[in-house]
Amino acid sequence: MSAELNQAPLQWKPYQKVAFRIAFIFFIIMTIPESPQWYTQVFSFDWTSLHYRDLYDIARFQPSFSRSPGYYGYYEWLIILVIAIIGGVIWSLIDSKRKEYNVLYYWLTVIIRYRAAIGIIGFAFTKVLPVQMPYPSTGILNTNFGDLTAQKIYWLSISIVPWYQVFAGIVELSAGVLLLFRKTATLGAIILFGALGDIVYVNFAYDGGVHVYSSYFVLFAAFLIAKELPKIYTLFIKEQYTVPVNFNLHFKERWLNITRYTLKFVVIFLFLFVFFYIQLNNFLYDPYKQPAAKGVSKLRGYYQVSEFRINNQLIPGSPQDSVRWQDVTFENWTTLTYKQNKAVPLDLSNGGGSPMRDINRTFEIAGVGGGRRVFYYEADTVNQILYLLDKYRAADGNSSRQSKKTAKPKISYNNFLTEEQEYHQVDPAGLTGRRLKGIKTERLRESERKRMVLNYATTDGKKVTLKGINDEKDSIYIVLDRVDKVYALKPSTLNAGKYQ
Amino acid sequence: MQTLTQDSSNWKGSQIIGFRLAFVYFFLQAFPLDWKYYKHLASINWLHLNFRDLFNISKYTPQFISGQYQESDWGLATFADWGLVFIIAIAGTILWTLIDKKTRNYDKLYYWLRVLIRYRLAIAVIGYGFLKLFAIQAPYPSLSSLNTPYGDFSSWKLFSLSLGIVPGYQSFLGAVELLAGLLLLNRRTTVIGATIIIFFTGNVFMSNLAYEGGETVYSFYLVTLALFLVLYDLERIINLIILHKPAKPTVHPINLKKQEQTGRIVLKSIFIFVFVLLNGFSVYKSSLNGGYHFSHQPGLKSLQGLYTVTDFKFNGQTLPYSLTDPIRWQNVVFEKWASLSIKVNKNYQLINHPVESIPDKEADGTFEQDGTVGRQYYAYKADTSNQNLFIKPIATNEKGSNLHYSLQADSTVLLTGVIDGNQIEARLQKNPKKYLLKATSSGRRGSLKL
Repeated sequence: MSAELNQAPLQWKPYQKVAFRIAFIFFIIMTIPESPQWYTQVFSFDWTSLHYRDLYDIARFQPSFSRSPGYYGYYEWLIILVIAIIGGVIWSLIDSKRKEYNVLYYWLTVIIRYRAAIGIIGFAFTKVLPVQMPYPSTGILNTNFGDLTAQKIYWLSISIVPWYQVFAGIVELSAGVLLLFRKTATLGAIILFGALGDIVYVNFAYDGGVHVYSSYFVLFAAFLIAKELPKIYTLFIKEQYTVPVNFNLHFKERWLNITRYTLKFVVIFLFLFVFFYIQLNNFLYDPYKQPAAKGVSKLRGYYQVSEFRINNQLIPGSPQDSVRWQDVTFENWTTLTYKQNKAVPLDLSNGGGSPMRDINRTFEIAGVGGGRRVFYYEADTVNQILYLLDKYRAADGNSSRQSKKTAKPKISYNNFLTEEQEYHQVDPAGLTGRRLKGIKTERLRESERKRMVLNYATTDGKKVTLKGINDEKDSIYIVLDRVDKVYALKPSTLNAGKYQ
Repeated sequence: MQTLTQDSSNWKGSQIIGFRLAFVYFFLQAFPLDWKYYKHLASINWLHLNFRDLFNISKYTPQFISGQYQESDWGLATFADWGLVFIIAIAGTILWTLIDKKTRNYDKLYYWLRVLIRYRLAIAVIGYGFLKLFAIQAPYPSLSSLNTPYGDFSSWKLFSLSLGIVPGYQSFLGAVELLAGLLLLNRRTTVIGATIIIFFTGNVFMSNLAYEGGETVYSFYLVTLALFLVLYDLERIINLIILHKPAKPTVHPINLKKQEQTGRIVLKSIFIFVFVLLNGFSVYKSSLNGGYHFSHQPGLKSLQGLYTVTDFKFNGQTLPYSLTDPIRWQNVVFEKWASLSIKVNKNYQLINHPVESIPDKEADGTFEQDGTVGRQYYAYKADTSNQNLFIKPIATNEKGSNLHYSLQADSTVLLTGVIDGNQIEARLQKNPKKYLLKATSSGRRGSLKL
């Protein structure tokens, strides 16, 4: 191993050494996954049938030992900083004779570059193949602007311009790629700083909840840019001849070089090529925020309720009535929504995560109010019956930690379809290892939901009658008239999922 | 461009020709030669200069072909105008090269061209920066907008509304834009300011493309100016940051005499006074009055709010509540200012006006109904002694109508009158609606029932 020492300082100033020791400990803790699951998960993946979320979960981690919301969510950072300061002081006492840390500084830079690159590439692909912000469902298109959370409004504002989402993804992706190479790393860091700095602010402003994780990248980018700032200052502000500090390691040993190139190749192959491929699969067959199974095609659309009977009693149209349905939609996927003038508990989450069952994919209800009820359905198209389950669930049953503690006996009657039938709803190409396994575990975790069983009858979907028992166990009879509504908002020109 | 950035006295032939082309092109793009521009300047009341005048001044681009110029507003160029400018630049370069065979370098002229571009660009981004800094470019959504379905907006309107709900973020964006503009005012920080603009305004350009905004060409124009400025330092940047090689600083080609130095400082001070201080103060004052998108006429306090239309008579005939009837009113919104909107299921013409323009005080803006359908918008004048509302559809030349309003004992409002020759009678019941957007404005923790 040799180093290009031409301009590297052989003697660091004392404050530089102390600052470096603290920074070194701080950033090493920040970049090392502390959860054992991060290490064991790679053994649970089906590497022959990868899901985008497998690599995403490798790429996405941050210090989360406390999960305390304190200090705006930066609690862990503060703890790590305290540890780093204590460690740095002790280190300074032990290693006081040391003149410089050029080699260690080099390695720290490499670690941070790769951590930031892999993390941002993981983030980027869900935009490059736009599934992070799915185009609004028909239910959301017919929900008033004021009946959405700020977070939802921001996510939707990107969702309506899928090509812009692709552009944003490409910006993040290029930052990540540039970080993988020594020479272009600073350029990558500048792009990362600008793009993620904006996202931090967006998350604070819109209450998006991802401010800490996006700050994580801003911090790394700032670290990488920091050493360039004095040079930029000398060259442009002081207008003086500037010689860059250049410290690179060059391996002489063959095996070290081979190791280096192999590792780099693996990172690039896995996080660029394999990731692109599995994300494309997700985009085409299984967009992770939308249910993947096709809805009954005859029913899809937007409907007005022209007749509504409950327990055989006719209810006239009125916006104030708390029982009568209004504004019914059948989505491209297996969802029925309707509006009611009745307060209901709301899902205020981002509607993200990695649910594998369609019923748990909640982007269409998360952050949506205005009395809209959203039901997942399983259709018996032979007998024309819809088995409906409320997509809203009170507690966040998706969190694996929580449900392990509160594992209850399974409620089997909640599932109309068998496991096999549920697998069959998904396009075989989108039925990855993770999805197979996920459907199974999430079925076991199901809890009580509101349910309806409705018979439907229609010839061509223009007029639909629904008859059956609603979630309050009343018998209902509804006549729906399709409205071929032309929205001011143009339809998406880049659609995820396979619903035709 | 290698020796361009060095203090050599001899440029290569290709550099000389390249510079001539760039000079003619950018000079024409940035320096106002259009006589209409000076007419425009003359029409301004310079003693009562406000940000609207300055904003319009700052928007100058040559419009030989598109000719969108209006008395009230400097219009926008199209790419066809660029094409013409480019053709002229080529012709100019040929002519220049034929005439001038002696000049060895353009160090000084290049410097002055950069000064022109720096200030041209600075004016533009500072103008926009202030509108965002004081959060008036995208106002908080009107009550009518809050009660309009998501799909009933065009994408650029949704962009504006989405930015409108977060004034703090808008201010942040404005601060970045303003900072970039101010950095251009100093030669040594120009490269930093121009780099920020490439990213920032580059993103504005992409947003205009995506959301079908009207300022695609203009934002790209600003990006090209910023690119031209960065080009000067490009070699230095690449050496220093990418190749990690030593880099020479620029050599300042101009030595001003003492008098000239004073003149420079005076001109720069005037520039800063007008385009930064005066402009900033004027925008700030406007923000205190609620900006320029909505009417400044206050509405009737007693009426403000959302109402459900419980009973509706059309020429004496009662129409039942319906979401599909093209005549039957569904709900009515009275804004804080003097306008109201009615939700009726009519066929609406979508009017898009996706360009940032600041209307005259006298003329009413049309922002409320721009880029949205599903509601009929009216401006109104109230006569409180007779309980009359004179209503007039926004942005039309249609004649107004008179409506009589009366507050009933059961706290409903009865509106009666004749609109388009039809006798209308509507009973409005206040809807004490709570908005999820507002209910979660301080966070999404805990559970919420709405």
